[in-house]
Amino acid sequence: MSLSSRLNLARFFNAKGAEAGTLTLTQRRIFILPTRAGVSFGMILLAMFLAAINYNNSLAYLLTFLLTSVTIVSMLHCYRNLQGLQLRARTPQAVFAGETQKLPIHLYNPSSQRRLAIKLGWPKQPPQQVDLDPQQGKWVNLELPALSRGRHPVGQITLYTRFPLGFFHAWSYLHFEVSALVYPKPSGIRRLPEEPFQQQGSEGDRGRGSDDFIGQRPYHPGDSLHHLNWKALARERGLLTKQFGGDRSDELNISWQMLAEQTTEAKISQLCRWVVEAEQSHLRYGLEIPGAHIPIGQGQQHYEQSLTALALYGQKP
Amino acid sequence: MHATIQIILQQLNSVILGKEVQLKLALACLLARGHLLIEDIPGVGKTTLSHALATTLGLKYSRIQFTSDLLPADILGSAIYERQSGEFHFHAGPVFSQLVLADEINRATPKTQSALLEAMEEQQVSIEGETRPLPDPFFVIATQNPSFQVGTFPLPESQLDRFLMRIQLGYPDAVAERRLLSGNSGRELLSKLSAVTTTPQLLALQQQVSQVQCTDALIDYLQALLHFSREAPYFSNGLSPRSGLGLLQAAKAWAFIEGRDYLLPEDLQQLLPHVAGHRLVSQEVGEHYNSEALLKLFQEVPVS
Amino acid sequence: MSWWRKQKPKRYQEDQRTAPVNGVIWLLAALLLVILPHLLRQPGWVVATCLAILTWRLFKEFKGWALPRTVFRLLLAVTLLAGTYFQYRTLNGLDAGTTLLTLMLSLKLIELRTLRDAMIVILLGYFLVLSGFLYDQSILSGLYLLSVVLLLTTSLLVLNHSDEGQSQAKKEYFKRATAILLQALPLVLILFILVPRIPGPLWALPNNSSSGTTGLSDKMSIGDITRLADSDAVAFRVNFTGEIPAADKLYWRGPILWQTDGRNWSTLNRADPFNALTAPPFTHLSEAIEYSVTLLPHKQRWLFALDLVVEQPEQSFLRRDFQLLHKDKINELYRYTVRSVLDYKNSQLLPQERKKALQLPANSNPQTRALAQQWRQQASSDQQLVTLALNYFQYQPFYYSRTPPALRGEPIDQFLFSAKKGFCEHYAAAFVTLMRGAGVPARVVTGYQGGEYSELGDYLLVRQSDAHAWAEVWLQESGWVRVDPTRVIPPDRIEAYEDLQRFTDTRNDKLFNPDTRWLHSAWLQTQRGWDAVNHQWSQWVVGFDQQQQQRLLERLGLGNLNIFALVGIMVLLILALLATLSLYLLYQRQKQREPLQQAYQTLCQRLAKRGVDNAPWLGPKQRCQQAMRKLPKQRQEIKSLFNHYIQLRYTKNQTADAQRAFIQAVKRFRC
Repeated sequence: MSLSSRLNLARFFNAKGAEAGTLTLTQRRIFILPTRAGVSFGMILLAMFLAAINYNNSLAYLLTFLLTSVTIVSMLHCYRNLQGLQLRARTPQAVFAGETQKLPIHLYNPSSQRRLAIKLGWPKQPPQQVDLDPQQGKWVNLELPALSRGRHPVGQITLYTRFPLGFFHAWSYLHFEVSALVYPKPSGIRRLPEEPFQQQGSEGDRGRGSDDFIGQRPYHPGDSLHHLNWKALARERGLLTKQFGGDRSDELNISWQMLAEQTTEAKISQLCRWVVEAEQSHLRYGLEIPGAHIPIGQGQQHYEQSLTALALYGQKP
Repeated sequence: MHATIQIILQQLNSVILGKEVQLKLALACLLARGHLLIEDIPGVGKTTLSHALATTLGLKYSRIQFTSDLLPADILGSAIYERQSGEFHFHAGPVFSQLVLADEINRATPKTQSALLEAMEEQQVSIEGETRPLPDPFFVIATQNPSFQVGTFPLPESQLDRFLMRIQLGYPDAVAERRLLSGNSGRELLSKLSAVTTTPQLLALQQQVSQVQCTDALIDYLQALLHFSREAPYFSNGLSPRSGLGLLQAAKAWAFIEGRDYLLPEDLQQLLPHVAGHRLVSQEVGEHYNSEALLKLFQEVPVS
Repeated sequence: MSWWRKQKPKRYQEDQRTAPVNGVIWLLAALLLVILPHLLRQPGWVVATCLAILTWRLFKEFKGWALPRTVFRLLLAVTLLAGTYFQYRTLNGLDAGTTLLTLMLSLKLIELRTLRDAMIVILLGYFLVLSGFLYDQSILSGLYLLSVVLLLTTSLLVLNHSDEGQSQAKKEYFKRATAILLQALPLVLILFILVPRIPGPLWALPNNSSSGTTGLSDKMSIGDITRLADSDAVAFRVNFTGEIPAADKLYWRGPILWQTDGRNWSTLNRADPFNALTAPPFTHLSEAIEYSVTLLPHKQRWLFALDLVVEQPEQSFLRRDFQLLHKDKINELYRYTVRSVLDYKNSQLLPQERKKALQLPANSNPQTRALAQQWRQQASSDQQLVTLALNYFQYQPFYYSRTPPALRGEPIDQFLFSAKKGFCEHYAAAFVTLMRGAGVPARVVTGYQGGEYSELGDYLLVRQSDAHAWAEVWLQESGWVRVDPTRVIPPDRIEAYEDLQRFTDTRNDKLFNPDTRWLHSAWLQTQRGWDAVNHQWSQWVVGFDQQQQQRLLERLGLGNLNIFALVGIMVLLILALLATLSLYLLYQRQKQREPLQQAYQTLCQRLAKRGVDNAPWLGPKQRCQQAMRKLPKQRQEIKSLFNHYIQLRYTKNQTADAQRAFIQAVKRFRC
């Protein structure tokens, strides 16, 4: 390593790159510098020292030395506030573009000392403050605006503290090897495609027909009010939706080809909207986009799979 | 008293092979005065287990097979007009037993399900404006097919909470299965079983369970576990205070079965997946965790 | 073209966030204590302004009032600045500076909004603490201001925690601030002892302190020393290298009063060339004794020493009349070492000296002069003349009194012939007037007499109440001789008990009333104990100057090191200390845990070294099983240890003995 790259500050601070698992704040990761208040205090201490000399006043000397020592000791305390702290992050829950994503970070204090006023945040953003009791772990959710679809590394997080006296700023940069998945923003003006794409299935449906009553299930938001079991509601049994079945099932293949005329992002958003709507109306659906084909299916996992495919369209997996 | 427990376990193990832990859990659930949910595919011995348990403990046993056309009255019983006396006479349903096996509970409609669950919760049944107490002890073992099967009504979260524990039986291991295949089937052995305890003896056992010692250190640990379930980002909802109390009771019963009169952190760890497993839902996938994964998550909590 | 509209997203800055309310309240409390002692010294309007602003701020915090506008704040600032200027006619100097700082601090409270503002206020507060020391360096002031520093530091902690008091960590803040201060103490000690003291001042100090100091002055009008007689204040303290001399030798020489107008006595004019003459050699009649004096600041140049000085301290000057003068006024506690010879004889009287020693105003005190002339006729020698005068005081009904009647007209005449009641200065002045009237050169010497011996500190304590005036006459055969006319007054004519004591013994614990003896002696003990503490304080803290530092370094064997070596040693010591402190702080053993848990941790750590999983979530039973698998040879021992622990922690039959046994067993356990 050449001298210049050794001295490269950015490299020095970010030496390790993204890391997986739990990371422990060791001496090599913690940096400490005086704050602006610390520098001002240094100057005040100098002024006090001059005054002490000038008035030849022993107690003034004593006070100056006391405050100097307190400052030095506070540096150790500030450093200790971070030293040994253990951190790890979890993959944040996927959200749609335009929403706010939450990055859960776990802080664990392995020592027998309380740690106060530990702050955690994105660079230059208002941080969150955490206090940790001895041997206590805490989860903190860092908010992260999801701007565009895709899988984004969460980037650099700053962990710092100025406790106890505010004269020193001890900090560490965290690079967690987690990435945030952002689904496309569901938008577009087209309604969910009707008949031409719906095919008759052979399997029978899951309460999507309207012919025979086959039972009831708890109400989900979005269920038709016509199917609500009003009698049950009147008996205070809660909201129940009556389910009807027939031999017809609604299967829908959402495909890239349906939207020939639009731009890529608009297409993705439109497809995303359809997937969301199809899931909400409990349809069985599949997704076909260049590079990904998701067979017809249903359920949370299927839904997530479809959205992920859309989110990652055109990006490296 | 521990000898009694040993005999009970011995007898149960002779009928259901290779399921020592599950049997102990089921017994613990009973001793902790909770209800048990067994979730597994048909044919692994759920019915046999409940029947064996009832016989061994000398409990009055009834089995209700849940179907989609089962009505609440089929479980609770109904008042029937009798010509001779000219009065309505109450015919008690199968729920008026000490051990009720609710087989394949998720096959019935929610209405029927909730009839049973309400009876479980309140230890009494109200029919036609008249309240009738259920026998003591009253223990329900419900079995449930894994919910992805067609034509089922999975129990909602709020109803699941009525069960103290949920266990899976799983397939027997090779040795046990071989013995099973070569020997007599469990059902035949069932008829040879005799009761080990009487009802008063069982009540006394339950009484003893609640006297298992529990120190502050242990309460600290329990609280840390509960706190973790509420705070960690793994679960959409944390454990309720009732679950906490249930966990403590179940752990006490476990310690008692293990022959101790005090609780250890290990007891809580042992019972946690079974008490919390059906209550905690993954924040990410929206499904329950399996036992190992759940226990792994709770390893973040240090034993105090 | 809309560059001005482009606004960068506002960058978060830690010190720009709003100061938390609980922090501000702590700060206000600390500030009140900071300002309080200054308020006692400052004009009423300053006091009122500060208190008003503090109160306003307190209400603002609770009621959420808005901050006043900039214009108002500016106006107020200008007004207060002008007010200070008119008060002191300067903005320079200690008093004006302190007032200004106090007002600025209060003003800053009006606009305090962000954390940064609050920090500035605290920093200024620290400075104000320092200016408090410039006024008062006593122990009490030191302790008071130390507690203020603690409070200010606590406020810093609260401000920097900024959780709006949700964590209820009030006690914790205080504890932490105390811990930081305590941990800083060894460092303070090193710095205090080793940082080279630079002799000040760096720039001239305007000496405008308004506070008056008690003590002798260079003038004496009759009735002056009486004023001091009631003051308990300490004048100086003396450590003798050898034995303490007898009480009647303890005359601490101060200003010599030569000039008189019949009523007032004063030192020679500043411009008098006689002042520039140095002390003449004299014959020593006994061994010199050595002692060091810790003099409290009296804002005069003179130093006090026993008659006569043979070896004067540095930077001082021994005048021809044996008065010891320092080159500057004593504004700080000053410690000096002197050697004196108590029995002496000098034999040289300059003509101008004789002239000054015979000066009397032409027409004053005629009766006295007449008496002097009459004695001159009777006496065959000057020595006899002195005896005549002393006999006159002894046999006539002269009383020694602290409350002498006011003297009008010719004061000495009135005192000698009608009032016959007076304090030391009356006697000294009358005696010198008589001598001069008879043609014997004489002068009044002021200073202190005696002192109070403190057994606790082994030093002599001289109070203002020991102030005294006596006379010196020139006798041909023995030179200047000390004559103390008050000493001839018989005890029954001394009114005050204390005065009776002062000439007889340095230990004034002989008591008047035997019934209150124990009470009185206890009181005296306490008083002396307190003074001994004070003495140590002045000697080692307040009076720790360049010389004292040098002396201490010599005693530590570092005396002959140059400044660089000294600084080097200091830096090394500080680094070593910091290393120790970091070790203590960063690798602190888990002390807070109860002993049982601590022992268990030790056990687990020991097992972990042998490969037993030490995961924090493992319970004791699982751990035990693991350990037994890993260390099959020690199965029994491990099992019994863990069972013991389980019994202690998870069952209710726990006893202290069992716990102790477990801890011992863990200590013995080796694997």
